[in-house]
Amino acid sequence: MALLEVKELTKLFGALMAVGNVSFSLEEKQILGMIGPNGAGKTTLFNMVAGLHRPTHGKVIFDGRDITGWKPHRVCRLGIAKTSQIMEPFRAMTVFENVQVAALHGGGMNMAASRIRTDEVIEFVGLAENRDKPAASISVPARRRLELARALASGARVLLLDENMAGLNPHEIDEALVLLRQIRDSGKSLIVVEHIMRAVMGISDRILVLNYGARIAEGSPQEVANNDEVIEAYLGKKSAAM
Amino acid sequence: MVILWIGMAGCWNITCGYTGYVDFGPVVYFGIGSYGTAIAMTKFGAPFFLAVAISGLAALLVALPIGLTTLRLRGAYFAIATFAFAEAMKQIALEFDRTFGVSFFDGSHGITLPIGDHGNEFFFFCILAVTLAVILMHYVIEHSKFGLGLKAIHESEDGAEISGVNTTGIKLRAYVTSALFLGMFGGIEAYWITYITPTDVFNVHKTVQMVIMTLLGGMGTFLGPIVGASFLTIISEILGTTFVEYYLIMVGAIIIGIILMMPKGIIGTIKEWKAIRFI
Repeated sequence: MALLEVKELTKLFGALMAVGNVSFSLEEKQILGMIGPNGAGKTTLFNMVAGLHRPTHGKVIFDGRDITGWKPHRVCRLGIAKTSQIMEPFRAMTVFENVQVAALHGGGMNMAASRIRTDEVIEFVGLAENRDKPAASISVPARRRLELARALASGARVLLLDENMAGLNPHEIDEALVLLRQIRDSGKSLIVVEHIMRAVMGISDRILVLNYGARIAEGSPQEVANNDEVIEAYLGKKSAAM
Repeated sequence: MVILWIGMAGCWNITCGYTGYVDFGPVVYFGIGSYGTAIAMTKFGAPFFLAVAISGLAALLVALPIGLTTLRLRGAYFAIATFAFAEAMKQIALEFDRTFGVSFFDGSHGITLPIGDHGNEFFFFCILAVTLAVILMHYVIEHSKFGLGLKAIHESEDGAEISGVNTTGIKLRAYVTSALFLGMFGGIEAYWITYITPTDVFNVHKTVQMVIMTLLGGMGTFLGPIVGASFLTIISEILGTTFVEYYLIMVGAIIIGIILMMPKGIIGTIKEWKAIRFI
Protein backbone atom coordinates (compact mmCIF):
# COMPACT_ATOMS: atom_id res chain seq x y z
CA MET A 1 0.00 0.00 0.00
CA ALA A 2 1.40 3.34 -1.02
CA LEU A 3 2.22 6.02 1.53
CA LEU A 4 0.23 8.66 -0.30
CA GLU A 5 -2.47 8.00 -2.85
CA VAL A 6 -4.28 10.62 -4.86
CA LYS A 7 -7.36 9.42 -6.70
CA GLU A 8 -9.12 11.35 -9.46
CA LEU A 9 -8.43 14.62 -7.77
CA THR A 10 -10.32 17.46 -9.42
CA LYS A 11 -10.68 21.15 -8.64
CA LEU A 12 -13.11 23.41 -10.41
CA PHE A 13 -13.14 27.14 -9.83
CA GLY A 14 -16.52 27.84 -11.37
CA ALA A 15 -16.16 26.70 -14.94
CA LEU A 16 -12.37 26.64 -14.85
CA MET A 17 -10.94 23.19 -14.36
CA ALA A 18 -7.69 23.84 -12.54
CA VAL A 19 -7.03 20.18 -11.91
CA GLY A 20 -8.87 17.38 -13.66
CA ASN A 21 -8.96 13.77 -12.62
CA VAL A 22 -5.35 13.40 -11.54
CA SER A 23 -4.30 10.18 -9.86
CA PHE A 24 -0.93 9.02 -8.66
CA SER A 25 0.70 7.27 -5.75
CA LEU A 26 3.84 7.86 -3.77
CA GLU A 27 5.87 5.22 -1.95
CA GLU A 28 8.16 5.58 1.04
CA LYS A 29 11.60 7.01 0.34
CA GLN A 30 10.57 7.98 -3.15
CA ILE A 31 11.06 11.23 -5.01
CA LEU A 32 8.30 12.08 -7.46
CA GLY A 33 8.96 14.99 -9.76
CA MET A 34 6.03 17.01 -11.03
CA ILE A 35 6.48 19.20 -14.07
CA GLY A 36 4.31 21.10 -16.47
CA PRO A 37 3.96 24.57 -17.92
CA ASN A 38 2.89 27.43 -15.66
CA GLY A 39 -0.78 27.24 -14.85
CA ALA A 40 -0.88 23.47 -15.30
CA GLY A 41 -2.39 23.02 -11.89
CA LYS A 42 0.61 21.85 -9.89
CA THR A 43 0.22 24.28 -7.00
CA THR A 44 -3.53 23.71 -6.87
CA LEU A 45 -2.89 20.00 -6.67
CA PHE A 46 -0.48 20.52 -3.79
CA ASN A 47 -2.94 22.79 -2.08
CA MET A 48 -5.60 20.12 -2.23
CA VAL A 49 -3.32 17.50 -0.74
CA ALA A 50 -2.24 19.91 2.01
CA GLY A 51 -5.78 20.96 2.81
CA LEU A 52 -5.72 24.56 1.63
CA HIS A 53 -8.30 23.88 -1.08
CA ARG A 54 -11.19 21.48 -0.87
CA PRO A 55 -11.24 19.13 -3.89
CA THR A 56 -14.34 19.32 -6.03
CA HIS A 57 -14.01 15.62 -6.59
CA GLY A 58 -11.58 12.85 -5.74
CA LYS A 59 -9.74 11.57 -2.72
CA VAL A 60 -6.46 11.95 -0.90
CA ILE A 61 -5.38 8.92 1.08
CA PHE A 62 -2.39 9.05 3.40
CA ASP A 63 -1.15 5.95 5.16
CA GLY A 64 -4.47 4.31 4.47
CA ARG A 65 -6.53 7.17 5.92
CA ASP A 66 -8.86 9.30 3.85
CA ILE A 67 -7.74 12.83 4.55
CA THR A 68 -9.69 14.53 1.78
CA GLY A 69 -10.84 17.96 2.91
CA TRP A 70 -8.95 17.92 6.20
CA LYS A 71 -7.84 21.32 7.45
CA PRO A 72 -4.21 22.24 6.77
CA HIS A 73 -3.05 22.08 10.35
CA ARG A 74 -4.42 18.56 10.76
CA VAL A 75 -2.79 17.43 7.55
CA CYS A 76 0.49 18.89 8.74
CA ARG A 77 0.24 17.15 12.07
CA LEU A 78 -0.48 13.88 10.35
CA GLY A 79 2.73 14.11 8.37
CA ILE A 80 2.40 16.01 5.11
CA ALA A 81 4.19 19.34 4.89
CA LYS A 82 4.17 21.80 2.04
CA THR A 83 6.53 24.61 1.17
CA SER A 84 5.28 27.67 -0.65
CA GLN A 85 6.15 29.07 -4.01
CA ILE A 86 5.88 32.54 -2.52
CA MET A 87 7.81 32.13 0.66
CA GLU A 88 5.92 33.05 3.79
CA PRO A 89 8.39 32.97 6.65
CA PHE A 90 7.44 34.58 9.94
CA ARG A 91 9.42 37.66 9.12
CA ALA A 92 9.83 39.32 12.49
CA MET A 93 10.66 36.08 14.25
CA THR A 94 14.10 34.49 14.23
CA VAL A 95 15.00 31.48 12.11
CA PHE A 96 14.99 29.45 15.30
CA GLU A 97 11.48 30.56 16.23
CA ASN A 98 10.22 29.95 12.71
CA VAL A 99 11.30 26.34 12.89
CA GLN A 100 10.18 26.01 16.49
CA VAL A 101 6.59 26.89 15.60
CA ALA A 102 6.53 23.93 13.23
CA ALA A 103 8.06 21.62 15.81
CA LEU A 104 5.62 22.73 18.50
CA HIS A 105 2.41 22.84 16.55
CA GLY A 106 3.05 20.56 13.63
CA GLY A 107 5.14 18.13 15.57
CA GLY A 108 3.06 18.32 18.72
CA MET A 109 6.03 18.71 21.04
CA ASN A 110 6.33 20.59 24.30
CA MET A 111 8.63 23.58 24.64
CA ALA A 112 11.67 21.66 25.88
CA ALA A 113 11.52 18.94 23.23
CA SER A 114 10.90 21.49 20.51
CA ARG A 115 14.10 23.36 21.32
CA ILE A 116 16.17 20.23 20.88
CA ARG A 117 14.42 19.23 17.68
CA THR A 118 14.67 22.73 16.26
CA ASP A 119 18.40 22.81 16.77
CA GLU A 120 18.75 19.38 15.19
CA VAL A 121 16.82 20.39 12.11
CA ILE A 122 18.63 23.72 11.77
CA GLU A 123 21.93 21.86 11.90
CA PHE A 124 20.74 19.31 9.34
CA VAL A 125 19.74 21.86 6.71
CA GLY A 126 22.80 23.99 7.31
CA LEU A 127 21.21 27.10 8.80
CA ALA A 128 23.14 27.07 12.07
CA GLU A 129 24.87 30.41 11.41
CA ASN A 130 21.48 32.07 10.78
CA ARG A 131 19.83 30.62 13.85
CA ASP A 132 19.13 33.85 15.70
CA LYS A 133 18.64 36.22 12.81
CA PRO A 134 15.20 37.53 11.86
CA ALA A 135 13.79 35.48 9.03
CA ALA A 136 13.36 38.57 6.91
CA SER A 137 17.10 39.23 6.84
CA ILE A 138 18.53 36.00 5.47
CA SER A 139 19.49 35.25 1.87
CA VAL A 140 17.24 33.57 -0.68
CA PRO A 141 18.93 30.15 -0.53
CA ALA A 142 18.79 30.35 3.26
CA ARG A 143 15.09 31.15 3.11
CA ARG A 144 14.51 28.14 0.90
CA ARG A 145 16.30 25.99 3.42
CA LEU A 146 14.20 27.55 6.16
CA GLU A 147 11.11 26.32 4.33
CA LEU A 148 12.61 22.83 4.31
CA ALA A 149 13.51 23.11 7.98
CA ARG A 150 9.97 24.03 8.92
CA ALA A 151 8.60 21.08 6.96
CA LEU A 152 11.06 18.67 8.60
CA ALA A 153 10.52 20.03 12.10
CA SER A 154 6.82 19.37 11.88
CA GLY A 155 7.62 15.70 11.63
CA ALA A 156 6.55 15.36 8.03
CA ARG A 157 6.94 12.05 6.23
CA VAL A 158 5.91 13.51 2.91
CA LEU A 159 7.25 16.87 1.78
CA LEU A 160 5.52 18.76 -1.02
CA LEU A 161 8.13 21.12 -2.41
CA ASP A 162 6.65 23.83 -4.59
CA GLU A 163 9.51 25.34 -6.63
CA ASN A 164 11.84 25.19 -3.69
CA MET A 165 14.79 25.91 -6.00
CA ALA A 166 13.41 29.00 -7.69
CA GLY A 167 15.86 31.85 -7.46
CA LEU A 168 18.95 29.72 -6.88
CA ASN A 169 22.07 29.83 -9.04
CA PRO A 170 23.50 26.56 -10.42
CA HIS A 171 25.90 26.07 -7.52
CA GLU A 172 23.11 26.58 -4.98
CA ILE A 173 20.92 24.17 -6.94
CA ASP A 174 23.55 21.46 -6.65
CA GLU A 175 23.73 21.99 -2.90
CA ALA A 176 19.95 21.86 -2.69
CA LEU A 177 19.89 18.57 -4.60
CA VAL A 178 22.38 17.07 -2.16
CA LEU A 179 20.18 18.13 0.75
CA LEU A 180 17.06 16.70 -0.89
CA ARG A 181 18.77 13.36 -1.36
CA GLN A 182 19.81 13.41 2.28
CA ILE A 183 16.23 14.08 3.28
CA ARG A 184 15.03 11.17 1.17
CA ASP A 185 17.69 8.91 2.59
CA SER A 186 16.57 9.76 6.11
CA GLY A 187 13.24 8.12 5.31
CA LYS A 188 11.06 10.85 3.81
CA SER A 189 9.22 10.97 0.52
CA LEU A 190 9.22 14.04 -1.65
CA ILE A 191 7.10 15.46 -4.42
CA VAL A 192 9.19 18.07 -6.17
CA VAL A 193 7.66 20.66 -8.45
CA GLU A 194 10.32 22.48 -10.43
CA HIS A 195 10.88 24.24 -13.69
CA ILE A 196 14.60 23.60 -13.66
CA MET A 197 14.75 20.49 -15.80
CA ARG A 198 18.16 19.21 -14.93
CA ALA A 199 17.24 19.38 -11.25
CA VAL A 200 14.00 17.48 -11.61
CA MET A 201 15.35 14.95 -14.09
CA GLY A 202 18.40 14.36 -11.97
CA ILE A 203 16.71 13.71 -8.69
CA SER A 204 13.35 12.11 -9.42
CA ASP A 205 12.65 8.41 -9.34
CA ARG A 206 9.52 9.03 -11.38
CA ILE A 207 8.02 12.07 -13.03
CA LEU A 208 4.44 13.17 -13.45
CA VAL A 209 3.62 15.69 -16.16
CA LEU A 210 0.60 17.99 -15.96
CA ASN A 211 -0.84 20.29 -18.56
CA TYR A 212 -4.06 22.26 -18.31
CA GLY A 213 -4.88 20.45 -15.12
CA ALA A 214 -4.65 16.94 -16.51
CA ARG A 215 -1.99 14.28 -16.34
CA ILE A 216 -0.41 13.86 -19.72
CA ALA A 217 2.47 11.52 -18.90
CA GLU A 218 4.04 9.58 -16.09
CA GLY A 219 7.16 7.48 -16.00
CA SER A 220 10.89 7.50 -15.51
CA PRO A 221 12.79 10.68 -16.39
CA GLN A 222 13.99 9.03 -19.62
CA GLU A 223 10.51 8.04 -20.76
CA VAL A 224 9.06 11.42 -19.97
CA ALA A 225 11.83 13.34 -21.72
CA ASN A 226 11.12 11.42 -24.92
CA ASN A 227 7.35 11.61 -24.73
CA ASP A 228 5.86 13.50 -27.67
CA GLU A 229 3.01 15.03 -25.77
CA VAL A 230 5.35 16.40 -23.13
CA ILE A 231 7.62 17.93 -25.72
CA GLU A 232 4.62 19.45 -27.43
CA ALA A 233 3.33 20.91 -24.20
CA TYR A 234 6.59 22.76 -23.60
CA LEU A 235 7.72 23.55 -27.11
CA GLY A 236 4.56 23.53 -29.16
CA LYS A 237 3.53 21.39 -32.11
CA LYS A 238 5.99 20.55 -34.83
CA SER A 239 5.04 22.61 -37.82
CA ALA A 240 4.37 20.67 -41.02
CA ALA A 241 6.76 22.92 -42.85
CA MET A 242 9.63 21.74 -40.64
CA MET B 1 -8.06 52.99 38.46
CA VAL B 2 -4.69 52.52 36.90
CA ILE B 3 -4.76 48.89 37.89
CA LEU B 4 -8.15 48.44 36.33
CA TRP B 5 -7.03 49.92 33.06
CA ILE B 6 -3.84 47.89 33.06
CA GLY B 7 -6.02 44.84 33.32
CA MET B 8 -8.47 45.91 30.66
CA ALA B 9 -5.79 47.01 28.22
CA GLY B 10 -4.07 43.72 28.95
CA CYS B 11 -7.19 41.86 27.90
CA TRP B 12 -7.18 43.61 24.57
CA ASN B 13 -3.52 42.82 24.19
CA ILE B 14 -4.22 39.14 24.72
CA THR B 15 -6.81 38.99 21.99
CA CYS B 16 -5.37 41.45 19.55
CA GLY B 17 -1.91 42.58 20.50
CA TYR B 18 -0.22 39.34 19.59
CA THR B 19 -2.29 38.25 16.64
CA GLY B 20 -2.67 41.66 15.07
CA TYR B 21 -6.43 41.36 14.77
CA VAL B 22 -8.31 44.50 15.74
CA ASP B 23 -11.22 43.73 18.01
CA PHE B 24 -13.62 46.61 18.42
CA GLY B 25 -16.12 44.98 20.65
CA PRO B 26 -14.46 43.82 23.88
CA VAL B 27 -16.50 46.20 26.01
CA VAL B 28 -19.39 43.86 25.35
CA TYR B 29 -17.89 41.34 27.76
CA PHE B 30 -17.36 44.02 30.35
CA GLY B 31 -21.00 44.89 29.97
CA ILE B 32 -22.13 41.30 30.12
CA GLY B 33 -20.10 40.95 33.27
CA SER B 34 -21.64 44.04 34.81
CA TYR B 35 -25.12 42.92 34.00
CA GLY B 36 -24.36 39.38 35.03
CA THR B 37 -23.33 40.48 38.47
CA ALA B 38 -26.10 43.04 38.77
CA ILE B 39 -28.82 40.60 37.85
CA ALA B 40 -27.36 37.82 39.93
CA MET B 41 -27.21 40.04 42.96
CA THR B 42 -30.51 41.85 42.58
CA LYS B 43 -32.79 39.20 41.12
CA PHE B 44 -31.26 36.16 42.65
CA GLY B 45 -29.64 37.49 45.76
CA ALA B 46 -26.30 35.90 44.97
CA PRO B 47 -23.32 36.84 47.10
CA PHE B 48 -20.70 39.01 45.44
CA PHE B 49 -17.96 36.53 44.68
CA LEU B 50 -20.37 34.02 43.25
CA ALA B 51 -21.93 36.74 41.14
CA VAL B 52 -18.57 37.74 39.72
CA ALA B 53 -17.74 34.13 38.95
CA ILE B 54 -21.06 33.77 37.17
CA SER B 55 -20.40 36.95 35.18
CA GLY B 56 -17.05 35.69 34.07
CA LEU B 57 -18.60 32.43 33.04
CA ALA B 58 -21.43 34.17 31.21
CA ALA B 59 -18.97 36.29 29.29
CA LEU B 60 -16.96 33.20 28.40
CA LEU B 61 -20.03 31.34 27.18
CA VAL B 62 -21.11 34.21 24.97
CA ALA B 63 -17.57 34.62 23.67
CA LEU B 64 -17.45 31.06 22.36
CA PRO B 65 -20.06 31.31 19.59
CA ILE B 66 -19.26 34.92 18.87
CA GLY B 67 -15.58 34.12 18.61
CA LEU B 68 -16.20 31.15 16.36
CA THR B 69 -18.19 33.23 13.93
CA THR B 70 -16.26 36.48 13.94
CA LEU B 71 -12.73 35.11 14.07
CA ARG B 72 -13.16 33.70 10.60
CA LEU B 73 -13.21 37.25 9.35
CA ARG B 74 -10.04 39.16 8.84
CA GLY B 75 -8.86 42.71 9.15
CA ALA B 76 -11.42 45.42 9.00
CA TYR B 77 -14.31 42.99 8.76
CA PHE B 78 -13.43 41.50 12.12
CA ALA B 79 -13.32 44.97 13.64
CA ILE B 80 -16.69 45.88 12.21
CA ALA B 81 -18.33 42.63 13.22
CA THR B 82 -17.12 42.84 16.80
CA PHE B 83 -18.12 46.47 17.05
CA ALA B 84 -21.55 45.67 15.68
CA PHE B 85 -21.98 42.95 18.23
CA ALA B 86 -21.11 45.28 21.07
CA GLU B 87 -23.60 47.87 19.91
CA ALA B 88 -26.22 45.19 19.39
CA MET B 89 -25.75 44.01 22.96
CA LYS B 90 -26.27 47.54 24.18
CA GLN B 91 -29.51 47.77 22.27
CA ILE B 92 -30.63 44.42 23.59
CA ALA B 93 -30.04 45.55 27.15
CA LEU B 94 -31.96 48.74 26.45
CA GLU B 95 -34.93 47.24 24.66
CA PHE B 96 -35.18 43.65 25.84
CA ASP B 97 -37.59 44.30 28.67
CA ARG B 98 -39.93 46.45 26.65
CA THR B 99 -40.01 44.00 23.77
CA PHE B 100 -40.62 40.95 25.82
CA GLY B 101 -42.52 42.50 28.64
CA VAL B 102 -40.24 41.20 31.34
CA SER B 103 -38.26 42.91 33.97
CA PHE B 104 -34.82 41.48 33.37
CA PHE B 105 -32.42 44.15 32.26
CA ASP B 106 -34.55 47.07 33.41
CA GLY B 107 -33.65 48.88 30.20
CA SER B 108 -32.52 52.43 30.40
CA HIS B 109 -33.48 52.71 34.02
CA GLY B 110 -30.39 50.82 34.88
CA ILE B 111 -29.94 48.47 37.76
CA THR B 112 -29.01 49.50 41.22
CA LEU B 113 -26.92 47.02 43.08
CA PRO B 114 -27.09 46.42 46.79
CA ILE B 115 -24.68 48.59 48.68
CA GLY B 116 -22.31 46.51 50.70
CA ASP B 117 -20.22 47.69 53.54
CA HIS B 118 -16.90 47.27 51.81
CA GLY B 119 -14.38 50.06 51.71
CA ASN B 120 -12.47 51.06 48.62
CA GLU B 121 -9.58 48.78 49.56
CA PHE B 122 -11.81 45.75 49.05
CA PHE B 123 -12.47 46.67 45.47
CA PHE B 124 -8.85 47.58 44.97
CA PHE B 125 -7.81 44.07 45.90
CA CYS B 126 -10.49 42.45 43.78
CA ILE B 127 -9.39 44.36 40.72
CA LEU B 128 -5.75 43.76 41.53
CA ALA B 129 -6.40 40.04 41.69
CA VAL B 130 -7.91 39.93 38.22
CA THR B 131 -5.26 42.22 36.79
CA LEU B 132 -2.55 39.99 38.20
CA ALA B 133 -4.25 37.08 36.47
CA VAL B 134 -4.16 39.03 33.20
CA ILE B 135 -0.47 39.77 33.69
CA LEU B 136 0.19 36.15 34.48
CA MET B 137 -1.58 35.22 31.25
CA HIS B 138 0.79 37.54 29.41
CA TYR B 139 3.76 35.79 30.97
CA VAL B 140 2.38 32.44 29.88
CA ILE B 141 1.87 33.73 26.37
CA GLU B 142 5.39 35.09 26.12
CA HIS B 143 6.93 31.74 27.00
CA SER B 144 4.65 29.14 25.60
CA LYS B 145 3.62 27.21 22.56
CA PHE B 146 0.33 29.12 22.66
CA GLY B 147 2.10 32.47 22.47
CA LEU B 148 4.36 31.47 19.60
CA GLY B 149 1.28 30.29 17.78
CA LEU B 150 -0.36 33.70 18.24
CA LYS B 151 2.69 35.51 16.96
CA ALA B 152 2.94 33.17 13.98
CA ILE B 153 -0.66 33.94 13.09
CA HIS B 154 0.21 37.63 13.13
CA GLU B 155 3.11 37.13 10.73
CA SER B 156 1.40 34.81 8.30
CA GLU B 157 -1.89 33.13 9.05
CA ASP B 158 -1.63 30.70 6.11
CA GLY B 159 1.99 29.96 6.91
CA ALA B 160 1.03 29.19 10.47
CA GLU B 161 -1.80 26.94 9.37
CA ILE B 162 0.40 24.79 7.15
CA SER B 163 3.01 24.57 9.90
CA GLY B 164 0.41 22.85 11.99
CA VAL B 165 -0.98 25.74 14.03
CA ASN B 166 -4.70 25.35 14.67
CA THR B 167 -5.34 29.00 13.91
CA THR B 168 -9.05 29.03 14.68
CA GLY B 169 -8.54 27.16 17.95
CA ILE B 170 -5.77 29.42 19.14
CA LYS B 171 -7.50 32.65 18.22
CA LEU B 172 -10.59 31.44 20.01
CA ARG B 173 -8.62 30.57 23.13
CA ALA B 174 -7.18 34.07 23.30
CA TYR B 175 -10.53 35.69 22.62
CA VAL B 176 -12.40 33.67 25.21
CA THR B 177 -9.74 34.11 27.91
CA SER B 178 -9.87 37.84 27.39
CA ALA B 179 -13.67 37.78 27.59
CA LEU B 180 -13.56 35.90 30.88
CA PHE B 181 -11.35 38.51 32.52
CA LEU B 182 -13.32 41.38 31.06
CA GLY B 183 -16.51 39.88 32.42
CA MET B 184 -15.00 39.72 35.86
CA PHE B 185 -13.84 43.33 35.67
CA GLY B 186 -17.32 44.30 34.63
CA GLY B 187 -18.82 42.50 37.58
CA ILE B 188 -16.48 44.03 40.12
CA GLU B 189 -16.96 47.52 38.83
CA ALA B 190 -20.73 47.12 38.81
CA TYR B 191 -20.73 46.33 42.51
CA TRP B 192 -18.34 49.19 43.22
CA ILE B 193 -20.31 51.85 41.38
CA THR B 194 -23.64 50.30 42.46
CA TYR B 195 -25.54 51.71 39.52
CA ILE B 196 -25.25 50.56 35.92
CA THR B 197 -26.98 51.46 32.70
CA PRO B 198 -26.56 49.98 29.24
CA THR B 199 -24.98 53.09 27.79
CA ASP B 200 -22.41 53.12 30.56
CA VAL B 201 -21.29 49.55 30.60
CA PHE B 202 -21.53 48.83 26.88
CA ASN B 203 -19.89 52.10 26.04
CA VAL B 204 -17.53 51.94 23.07
CA HIS B 205 -15.44 54.53 24.86
CA LYS B 206 -14.10 51.77 27.08
CA THR B 207 -13.04 49.77 24.03
CA VAL B 208 -11.32 52.79 22.59
CA GLN B 209 -9.40 53.32 25.81
CA MET B 210 -8.26 49.70 25.84
CA VAL B 211 -7.11 49.95 22.26
CA ILE B 212 -5.27 53.23 22.70
CA MET B 213 -3.55 52.14 25.88
CA THR B 214 -2.28 48.98 24.28
CA LEU B 215 -1.25 50.73 21.09
CA LEU B 216 0.55 53.38 23.09
CA GLY B 217 2.35 50.88 25.23
CA GLY B 218 3.08 48.44 22.46
CA MET B 219 0.90 45.74 20.94
CA GLY B 220 1.94 42.20 21.57
CA THR B 221 4.41 42.96 24.33
CA PHE B 222 4.44 42.01 27.97
CA LEU B 223 4.92 45.46 29.45
CA GLY B 224 2.94 47.25 26.75
CA PRO B 225 -0.49 47.40 28.39
CA ILE B 226 1.07 48.17 31.77
CA VAL B 227 3.06 51.09 30.44
CA GLY B 228 0.33 52.32 28.14
CA ALA B 229 -2.43 52.22 30.74
CA SER B 230 -0.32 53.77 33.47
CA PHE B 231 1.01 56.49 31.24
CA LEU B 232 -2.35 57.50 29.85
CA THR B 233 -4.19 57.41 33.16
CA ILE B 234 -1.50 59.38 34.96
CA ILE B 235 -1.08 61.94 32.21
CA SER B 236 -4.85 62.43 32.06
CA GLU B 237 -4.98 62.92 35.82
CA ILE B 238 -2.10 65.37 35.94
CA LEU B 239 -3.21 67.40 32.97
CA GLY B 240 -6.82 67.13 33.98
CA THR B 241 -6.24 68.82 37.28
CA THR B 242 -3.80 71.40 36.01
CA PHE B 243 -5.49 72.46 32.82
CA VAL B 244 -9.10 71.66 33.43
CA GLU B 245 -10.32 73.21 30.22
CA TYR B 246 -7.76 72.06 27.69
CA TYR B 247 -6.52 68.76 29.04
CA LEU B 248 -8.43 66.58 26.60
CA ILE B 249 -6.84 68.29 23.64
CA MET B 250 -3.42 67.93 25.21
CA VAL B 251 -3.94 64.27 25.91
CA GLY B 252 -5.09 63.76 22.34
CA ALA B 253 -2.06 65.58 21.02
CA ILE B 254 0.27 63.51 23.18
CA ILE B 255 -1.31 60.29 21.97
CA ILE B 256 -0.97 61.34 18.35
CA GLY B 257 2.60 62.48 18.94
CA ILE B 258 3.62 59.20 20.45
CA ILE B 259 1.99 57.10 17.79
CA LEU B 260 3.68 59.14 15.07
CA MET B 261 7.11 58.98 16.61
CA MET B 262 6.89 55.47 17.98
CA PRO B 263 4.51 53.50 15.81
CA LYS B 264 5.18 50.34 17.71
CA GLY B 265 4.23 51.91 20.97
CA ILE B 266 6.58 52.87 23.76
CA ILE B 267 7.71 49.38 24.63
CA GLY B 268 7.67 48.25 21.03
CA THR B 269 10.05 50.99 20.01
CA ILE B 270 12.37 50.42 22.96
CA LYS B 271 12.51 46.76 22.01
CA GLU B 272 13.56 47.69 18.52
CA TRP B 273 16.28 50.04 19.67
CA LYS B 274 17.80 47.62 22.09
CA ALA B 275 16.82 44.40 20.32
CA ILE B 276 15.66 43.15 23.67
CA ARG B 277 13.40 40.20 23.36
CA PHE B 278 12.05 39.59 26.80
CA ILE B 279 9.89 42.59 27.51
